[in-house]
Amino acid sequence: MQLPSQLLENAVAEFAKLPGIGKKTALRLVLHLLKQEVDEVSHFGETISKMRKEVQFCKRCSNISDTQVCSICSNTTGRNQQLICVVENIRDVIAIESTQQYNGTYHVLGGIISPLDGVGPDQLNIETLISRVKEEETKELLFALNPNIQGDTTIYYIQRKLGQTNCKVTTIARGISFGGELEYADEMTLARSITNRLPIEQYVR
Amino acid sequence: MLQLQQISLVQFRNYIQQQFSFTEKVVGVCGLNGSGKTNLLDAIYYLGFTKSYFSRNDGQNVHHGMAGLRLQGQFLLNDEPHEIVSILRENNRKEFSLNGEEYKKFSEHIGRFPCVMIAPDDISMIIGGSEERRKFVDTILSQIDRNYLQHLIEYNKVLQQRNSLLKQAADQGNINEELLSVFNEQLSKNGEWIYAQRLFFMESFLVLVGQFYARIAGKDDQVFIVYESDLQKGKMLDLLLASRQKDSVLQRTTIGIHKDDLLIKMGESNFKNDASQGQRKSLLFALKLAEWQTLKTKKGFSPILLLDDVFEKLDEKRMHNLLKWVCTDDDGQVFITDTHPARLKQQLKEVGAGFQLIEL
Ligand SMILES: Nc1ncnc2c1ncn2[C@@H]1O[C@H](COP(=O)(O)OP(=O)(O)OP(=O)(O)O)[C@@H](O)[C@H]1O
Ligand SMILES: [Mg+2]
Ligand SMILES: [Zn+2]
Repeated sequence: MQLPSQLLENAVAEFAKLPGIGKKTALRLVLHLLKQEVDEVSHFGETISKMRKEVQFCKRCSNISDTQVCSICSNTTGRNQQLICVVENIRDVIAIESTQQYNGTYHVLGGIISPLDGVGPDQLNIETLISRVKEEETKELLFALNPNIQGDTTIYYIQRKLGQTNCKVTTIARGISFGGELEYADEMTLARSITNRLPIEQYVR
Repeated sequence: MLQLQQISLVQFRNYIQQQFSFTEKVVGVCGLNGSGKTNLLDAIYYLGFTKSYFSRNDGQNVHHGMAGLRLQGQFLLNDEPHEIVSILRENNRKEFSLNGEEYKKFSEHIGRFPCVMIAPDDISMIIGGSEERRKFVDTILSQIDRNYLQHLIEYNKVLQQRNSLLKQAADQGNINEELLSVFNEQLSKNGEWIYAQRLFFMESFLVLVGQFYARIAGKDDQVFIVYESDLQKGKMLDLLLASRQKDSVLQRTTIGIHKDDLLIKMGESNFKNDASQGQRKSLLFALKLAEWQTLKTKKGFSPILLLDDVFEKLDEKRMHNLLKWVCTDDDGQVFITDTHPARLKQQLKEVGAGFQLIEL
């Protein structure tokens, strides 16, 4: 693509880095911005860079937050602080929050154990979870991981690391098709899975 | 009863667009070398297994220079009509549906419309490595029990993860013992389950193979097959612990059901080394027909039998016995290919079953 301006080209190249956006779409977006008032586009740019600069990851649960400790972790009256839902990533937090069926806290692992993909336990927020459960005397750990073999591996591993504990370990019910992905489950299925969570002894085949 | 009544092929291998109707239980397909006989049988197989018998890569099945393919089959299963459609889209996305309903998981289709293929290259199952024989056994068991395929898939996934961990551990000089233990348990759980299924299955299956061999060969060559598995030596979990050192050094899992094999003996000697070509062929047929018989017993109807180039393989008398048996003693549908229309016609006539001849 031959563009009449280097500045334009730079902007197009930046947009094209985004997932799902090709060069053509990028150009369309940039040309759209070019039609806007300068102030408006500045505001757009500032919002993005401010977001990146200032968003924090909650010290306790690794969820995204505007403060050191996220709003869920600091809500001691509305949220059961002794219930932790373990999820793979932030998108799962958003998915579960939108069911409005859950009133505990979260722990975002940042991935799932898969040596094949170069992800070992050390790359994930597993140590912090273990010490969190011990220090906070957590009552229940609810696993909401994708129902597949890597999800199982991660659950068993964490369970092993926890050792003897009074903390109850549960997992969301497997109403969702085996091998599927949490992100794409419809809200109804997800809500039901949380209501019907099972003790881990019953869930292992 | 299972019968294919019609198939349409679009951009599949050498076919651009073609339709075939099958009216008889026995269908002869003849044509010169390269005319598409094998491809037609493979298309039928494809509808039963959601994939080609020959090529792993779906791209290879698309007619050269074109994008996408479509296979559609009209089946009659226990007097009920069923339509199977497989589409490979231009972007290589595959859709597979039964009676208008698309499968979310293709593995759910396996075993519903069973087929058994006998093709010239299958002889590698007897003379080649153990992988081919495991694949043969797995294909049968997957068609009988859907859980089998699920367990096998899980076993293989964990196996890959475990091997990957062993490799990384060797690079880094230390291993995460807890994670290894988790993999050991996951592997053992699936491995023990699969072993139990294989063991139970082999008991009757291997006897059946022996009987078929005698029938095809017309004499007793003292051919027998033994199922061999590491798990005969103990519980898989214990074996994994015992081979821990070895696995670490070799950076892969050295014991497990992924090493299972069928040992074929002829008298005291190894069949692989000593058997004549005719004996190998007889054994191949015996294995495949035992598969066919087993599926028939389990399903309550005969799988579709796809015989590719069988006339090149057995002498006329053996061929005649075999054809007579599969074509008349049974309600199943049989497809047979041959390059010589006259020979095929003659053979089928002698058998005495109603047949149809398709010339490509
Ligand atoms: N993807 C493809 N696109 C176009 N043609 C193909 C494709 N794959 C295979 N063919 C052609 O299909 C023909 C082979 O067909 P097939 O193997 O079914 O023949 P056959 O009748 O079984 O022959 P034989 O008697 O030698 O076994 C070859 O001519 C080959 O070039
Ligand atoms: Mg052929
Ligand atoms: Zn938090």
